[in-house]
Amino acid sequence: MAFEYSDMLTTIKDKQWALADIDWDAPGAETLTAEQRPRLKAFMSDLVWIENVGARGFAALAKKAPTEDLKQIYQYFHAEEQRHANAELALMRRWGMIEGDEMPMPNNNIRLVIEWLDRYSDGMPLSTLGTVIPALETALDGALVKFLLDEVTDPVCQEVFRHINSDESRHLAVGFQVLDMLGAGPMRKILIEGAGTVMRPSVMLGLLVYSPLLTRMITNISAMGLSEDKLHIAIRRFDKAGERSRNTRRLPVFHVVKFHAGLAINHRQPFQFVAEQMGTVIDHLPMGLLGKVPSWSNELTHEPVSR
Amino acid sequence: MTRTPSVLIIGAGFAGLGTAIRLLQSGIDDIVILERADRVGGTWRDNTYPGAACDIPSVLYSYSFAPKPDWSRAYSRGGEIQAYVEHLVERYRLTEYIRFGVNVTGLSFDEHTATWTADTAGGETFTGRTVVMAAGPLANASWPDIRGLDSYTGHKIHSARWDHDYDMTGKRVAVIGTGASAVQIIPELVKTAAKVKVFQRTPGWVLPRPDFRHPGWAKELFRRVPATESLARQAWFWGHEAAALGMVWDTPATTAIQLIAKANMRRQIRDPWTRRQLTPDFRAGCKRMLMTSDYYPALQKPNCKLITWPIATISPRGIRTADGIEHEVDCIVFATGFDVCKTGTPFPIAGRDGRKLDDEWASGAYAYKSVSVSGYPNLFLTFGPNSGPGHNSALLYMESQIDYIVKAVRLISSRGIRIFDVRKDRQDRYNAEMQRRLAATTWNSGCSSWYLTADGHNTTMFPGFATQFTRQLARVNLDDYQPVGAG
Repeated sequence: MAFEYSDMLTTIKDKQWALADIDWDAPGAETLTAEQRPRLKAFMSDLVWIENVGARGFAALAKKAPTEDLKQIYQYFHAEEQRHANAELALMRRWGMIEGDEMPMPNNNIRLVIEWLDRYSDGMPLSTLGTVIPALETALDGALVKFLLDEVTDPVCQEVFRHINSDESRHLAVGFQVLDMLGAGPMRKILIEGAGTVMRPSVMLGLLVYSPLLTRMITNISAMGLSEDKLHIAIRRFDKAGERSRNTRRLPVFHVVKFHAGLAINHRQPFQFVAEQMGTVIDHLPMGLLGKVPSWSNELTHEPVSR
Repeated sequence: MTRTPSVLIIGAGFAGLGTAIRLLQSGIDDIVILERADRVGGTWRDNTYPGAACDIPSVLYSYSFAPKPDWSRAYSRGGEIQAYVEHLVERYRLTEYIRFGVNVTGLSFDEHTATWTADTAGGETFTGRTVVMAAGPLANASWPDIRGLDSYTGHKIHSARWDHDYDMTGKRVAVIGTGASAVQIIPELVKTAAKVKVFQRTPGWVLPRPDFRHPGWAKELFRRVPATESLARQAWFWGHEAAALGMVWDTPATTAIQLIAKANMRRQIRDPWTRRQLTPDFRAGCKRMLMTSDYYPALQKPNCKLITWPIATISPRGIRTADGIEHEVDCIVFATGFDVCKTGTPFPIAGRDGRKLDDEWASGAYAYKSVSVSGYPNLFLTFGPNSGPGHNSALLYMESQIDYIVKAVRLISSRGIRIFDVRKDRQDRYNAEMQRRLAATTWNSGCSSWYLTADGHNTTMFPGFATQFTRQLARVNLDDYQPVGAG
């Protein structure tokens, strides 16, 4: 059956959920072990911010959507990523990882990604963010989040990530459909656009902040015990889903992102060393020079009800 | 059955009363005005929300045949406009012609007697040899199609039916919509409510409104030398006509308008992300331009918050947005506009051989020069299809239609015409030309708005200058009609 964006939009509207649907005080928080807590806190902090920057990515995509239905879908996805971040914050609060209105601090790398998205994302072509976001979501959905569900038995956590996974499945379905649509154009146009994208200084800069972040996330999750095999399986999912479409295979950006993701999960190649070193450099950058964080990154909340 | 007047006018708002005045001035006093409410005023009677004002200068938003020298401000508040409408009734002694509390539920034409019959909710029927539809395009409030709307247990107010008994002081209020009404309501609400949350779906282009008090000497001058008010009217008129170059047609002037709007936003909004949220992604003019100098400052008040997340559902306690948060509020203000009939009629209208206008307009309304519809003889429309301005005063357009209708009614009366039906070929040719010209306008430049039907058909706006609209209605050409029973 042909994919209809209007049907997908209706499904998205039907599947909305809110933080208020979840009983955040239900028993189960105590199942978290003292050993899990510090590493999980670091992981959740990064996850919250990755959802938040993902949200900003969808906001940029909404500006580029060629149809009203797709634009509305991206507007929902923008909000849904924010919802995931809010729900993850609420989980952190439930687990006593944050107090009151405390917010986890974004690491330097995420801070740079926030800055990059704020400055350049609205100017990116649909194909760039439209490829990177499904890749990240496949990795998050297919490996990191599933791993989290294996490790943490808190039923509220299970409930939250059931909702999040359900949302992500629609994000991926739309993501791959858009790639298919983008790859259906004339090859000449695809190549010119692809070459134009690669030559943009903003894209190069984006790679410089995105690569170490992906490596850092993978290193962190590996340290928590996620096997490399599971990561391979997750990245293969992106690969396979993309390769299924003849159109997507024609997109140079898809191949670049796929190649990069492959590099990022392989510990035994020079890229890993470079990305890790870049991460170290980023850790020592004086972030104060960047000035105030954009106001969109101050919108997160763990409160289900705003009074 | 009461009697058969020459003209039955449906609606006692600006259009209905203006038609009555011009008919009376031309010597036709055999008229009946049917009004469903118990007061005149139409849109201005119904829209009494805080801050209600016209976004067209008052000297231009009034009838040329009934000037008012003492408008208090450049852009008058709703109350003053309503007082002007009521003053018209008094000045032209219209009360005796108006039947209040009569809600028309259907109109049908009898070819045998060449009369129209209006059925009413009260059971009474009224007949007329001609009918003027002056029910107004903005007469019926439109409630949004949002999930859970009926589940909300707090207070609900529609901008077009304001509840003045509800005290906003200290309340947490949500405003849904950011159109022409909302941008006037929000600056007033932030003055009294404890918290105002503005739920925006699509931002509009905002231009500053150069509002000012009319100084006493100007009012005195307008009163003593009416030609000076006429001169001021002409100045405003030509200023607005020039704006058509960017607001009606999609041209470099449209880009210039956008740059002015962006500069205005930059001047008033400090935060770049808020500016991004408030920047439209359609061409200026595609949706109605918003004229306000108070809206942006109001949004930045500490007790006001702009929310651009899609609304997932309305819950019993408030509004849930797609970012997963429930916004608990005491009252929701629906500034969601009006139910504009673009693909039908406000009530069933049956023409010759029982044909139904509702059916014929199902895929988009059309008429000849916005006034006559083939198959519905002796029926005249005010604010009919494709008569909306995007850049100038609606009353100018209305006045042109009224003068055309008066000429037609006089023609019918003086020549003893029984059936005055516009020729279908003329109507089709006119509408083909309208649609061809509309293609180059800002309204058809790709956004969705209340100007367009669901399938993107523009049935509301006139693609041209006000001068062109007026000129096309300057005379009634008998060749455009197929008069039957001409004496």
